[in-house]
Amino acid sequence: MPAVVSTARRRSGLRISKRALPYVLSLPALLVCIGILVPFFAAVLYSFQRYRLSQPWNRQYNWGENYLNFFTDPGFWNTLRVSLVYAGSTVVLELLLGLGIALLLQKRTRLNNFISIMLLMPLMTAPALAALMWKLMTNPGFGVLSYLASLVGLQDFRWASSPSTALFTVVLVDIWVYTPFIMILLLAGLRSLPTQPFEAAALDGVPRSFVFFRITLPMLMPYILTATLFRLLDSIQQFDIIYAMTQGGPGDTLTVFQVEAYLNFFQSTNVGRSAALLMILWVITYFLSFVFIKNWLRLRERARGEA
Amino acid sequence: MATLELHNIVKRFKDNTVLDDVSLTVNDGEILVLFGPSGAGKTVLLRLIAGVLDADAGRIVIDGEDMTGVDAEFRGVGMAFQNFALFPHMDAFANIATPLEARKAPRDAVKAGVESVARLLKIDHVLTHRPRALSNGQKQRTALARALVGSPPVLLLDDPLRNVDAKLRFEMRLELPRLLADRGATVIYVTQDYKEAMALGDRIAVMGQAGIRQLGTPEEIYLQPAGLEIARLFGDPTINLLDVRPSRDGQGIHVALSGTRVELPAAMEPSVGRACVAGLRPETLRFVKAGTKGAVPVTIEAETPLNEKTVTLVRTRGGREILVSRPAGTPGPDHGEAFLDIDAGGVLMFDKASGERLAAGGPAAPRKRATA
Amino acid sequence: MEHTSLIERILRAVALALVVVFFMFPLLWIFLMSFQTNETILSIPPELFFTPTLQNYTALITGKLTSAAGTLDIAFMRNLWNSVFLSVTSVAVSLLLGVPAAYAFARHKFRGSEDIAFTLLSFRFAPPLLVLLPLTLYFQQLGLANTYFGLVWVYQLICLPLILWIVRGYFEDISADVEYAYRIAGHSWFATFRKIALPLAGPGIAAAGLLAFIFAWNNFVFALVLASADKQPVTVGALAFVTASGIQYGQIAAAIVLSIAPTLALALYAQRYLVEGLSLGAVKG
Repeated sequence: MPAVVSTARRRSGLRISKRALPYVLSLPALLVCIGILVPFFAAVLYSFQRYRLSQPWNRQYNWGENYLNFFTDPGFWNTLRVSLVYAGSTVVLELLLGLGIALLLQKRTRLNNFISIMLLMPLMTAPALAALMWKLMTNPGFGVLSYLASLVGLQDFRWASSPSTALFTVVLVDIWVYTPFIMILLLAGLRSLPTQPFEAAALDGVPRSFVFFRITLPMLMPYILTATLFRLLDSIQQFDIIYAMTQGGPGDTLTVFQVEAYLNFFQSTNVGRSAALLMILWVITYFLSFVFIKNWLRLRERARGEA
Repeated sequence: MATLELHNIVKRFKDNTVLDDVSLTVNDGEILVLFGPSGAGKTVLLRLIAGVLDADAGRIVIDGEDMTGVDAEFRGVGMAFQNFALFPHMDAFANIATPLEARKAPRDAVKAGVESVARLLKIDHVLTHRPRALSNGQKQRTALARALVGSPPVLLLDDPLRNVDAKLRFEMRLELPRLLADRGATVIYVTQDYKEAMALGDRIAVMGQAGIRQLGTPEEIYLQPAGLEIARLFGDPTINLLDVRPSRDGQGIHVALSGTRVELPAAMEPSVGRACVAGLRPETLRFVKAGTKGAVPVTIEAETPLNEKTVTLVRTRGGREILVSRPAGTPGPDHGEAFLDIDAGGVLMFDKASGERLAAGGPAAPRKRATA
Repeated sequence: MEHTSLIERILRAVALALVVVFFMFPLLWIFLMSFQTNETILSIPPELFFTPTLQNYTALITGKLTSAAGTLDIAFMRNLWNSVFLSVTSVAVSLLLGVPAAYAFARHKFRGSEDIAFTLLSFRFAPPLLVLLPLTLYFQQLGLANTYFGLVWVYQLICLPLILWIVRGYFEDISADVEYAYRIAGHSWFATFRKIALPLAGPGIAAAGLLAFIFAWNNFVFALVLASADKQPVTVGALAFVTASGIQYGQIAAAIVLSIAPTLALALYAQRYLVEGLSLGAVKG
């Protein structure tokens, strides 16, 4: 049997230096991402320009003017308000509902497992298509929901067509699509909790509300925070559902950030304002994602430690 | 089949220097034990030799060839891991066969090689099992088989008996030396168990503080430990350590124990007047009849059987506790007043501040026991 | 273990039933609607029992709708094909790029790896229009507007971070010693990657690929901005359907059913992978 292999054999085959290997492996992925950075920086620049596609000759830097204009622009404040209300209400409602459902399905029974699989389905639907489905269902002419509404005395309930109920309708769709996500996360969290504290509490005769608020909830906190941040990040930049439902209407009732930016770009061809709007949104999401990733890393370490 | 040399190896992890200028030569066919507590750098050293880690400085030479820059797959080394590191998605046969198929050996050669090693380690009946279906002992032997099958000139065994039950560990401790000697490989064996170290090693390298504290045969380490810590690590029950300050007068060097004068050999000169720690191995103390010259009076506190020994806990007049051990079955006092004879030749003297050994007593050979 | 009173159990069952009804009803309703003629759909109150018809589906599949007003061409099948092509290709590309990169990130903590990982992750959370709107302008200059190549490349923004995020965690879970053992036995790093790392991370890679496919398929805004009618996937195509004149509601419902069927079927078939990918992937990272 050969002792140590001779030098000749060492040089054969594909030789990538050990040091360079990780960079070579991740290079293609990095290149793709760098490609994405270019338009990002372009957007940053646009946000500092007065730039309309319909008036290309007028294009010039106006530096912070786009941003300053926002302060006095009621349209901007409306966008901000609607976005925050939308994000806030969807996240809170989905959290409560998701937690409730997770608690209901906590026990590992065949029925519960079956139900949780079924409840996955709305999450797998494209949000834009979900909005379309609900649009059909809330159609004033033949929509089944309009019919049911009329049965309970809500004649002529306009759902997404009326400024007073449009937000309610899209929030409803959002809840329909995304609650299962929170449910899955919290269910996994609930099922991963150690059983000893609960067994001890049962033995000691601790009342169930106490168990829930003082034992379950604190232990579930990392999952709840993860789910909340995740959904907050997605909700504040929601586009698909709202655009598919009403394209931002009626009027400007539903012009959240991305919808407004889209309309600015394609309808008013106002690139500058659109970019500035998106930059503000990006700052918000960057901050949120920083917080999220920190929290998620902590959750991962914890899970590793207990593995 | 190969010599192994480590020259000035340095390895750092962030701010922690795990190995600082470590040098070592392992002779052809020798079993060298790396002994030390966890964190001493033993596993890191094995990984450096195997080539899966790179040293920050220094050279590793296997059979005269410098291994710097040589990847692990070309080093011709076999390694058995503490946690077995078996491939979970392959059966035991495939696991063991990996070194042979890496060489593109023909099917029959692979089969023959694997089966022969499996027979040797008595796992030939579980070769078709996946690792999760094997017991710890079978996993350990599969890992060992994988390391052995290619007959590598250098074998690295990282505490292979650690995760194995006591009975099997004892059996393997007897089988391994023969197994390894038959293969003729140069072996580095890592363990935290001093008994294992002394049973298996031709030489032992005691590691600590990012380096090798002492290198020697098991006898040398046991009878002439380089320092307090090393003396404490070897021996069961642990060596008795007593703070003393030897003094010299007309009749020679001595210390006082239980009010009695204990003579020390002239070789203890360096310890005179210094704060020292005297090390007395329990088996070098024996009970004698009252009135024997130089006997130290003690009170017996307790007596415990410990495997093949009987251990007695005694207390001196000064309140210090000493353990005395004798072979089980030999008679001895078990309560009340007793007298100890201390063999000056077996006393180890350590400097209190540094822990270094100042002197050992007389001849290294174990004393003859007088029948009581 | 718990004493649940009868009232409580009834309440639980009712609550659960309401939940199931809420989430399942729309899917069921649209499914039924897809088998209804326009007359059935438009009748009030909505009919629960009706004679089903396949004419909506035939119209979509054959691409032709013949009615009293004449024959209309429906390009929905084209949308379906676009969805399939874009999703499959994007996932394939992102696996090809992302799995080795995830391995690099998992095994070699090289300088800047955490920063690069965070940056890539933050792409997942950034508003897509921020990149898409300038990209439309660039694409027109580069000639990539409304091309499969351009779309697949942009879809990497959806798929790559997901693959990296989930698969890295699975690679990290493989004990380094197992890979060392294979290398010491005499195999190169590539053989170790192929024969040890990939098989052991297999479930994670499958979960990630599945999730990436679903996200790519369900994507709306990317295609809305960058694709014209002939390259649009079903998400955009179905919407255009609604605003087009002369289309019947039954066909819209059928189009929706066809559009969501693949993801729903995948989810049912591989739900274990999916749940693991979604929840544990979030935890494992």
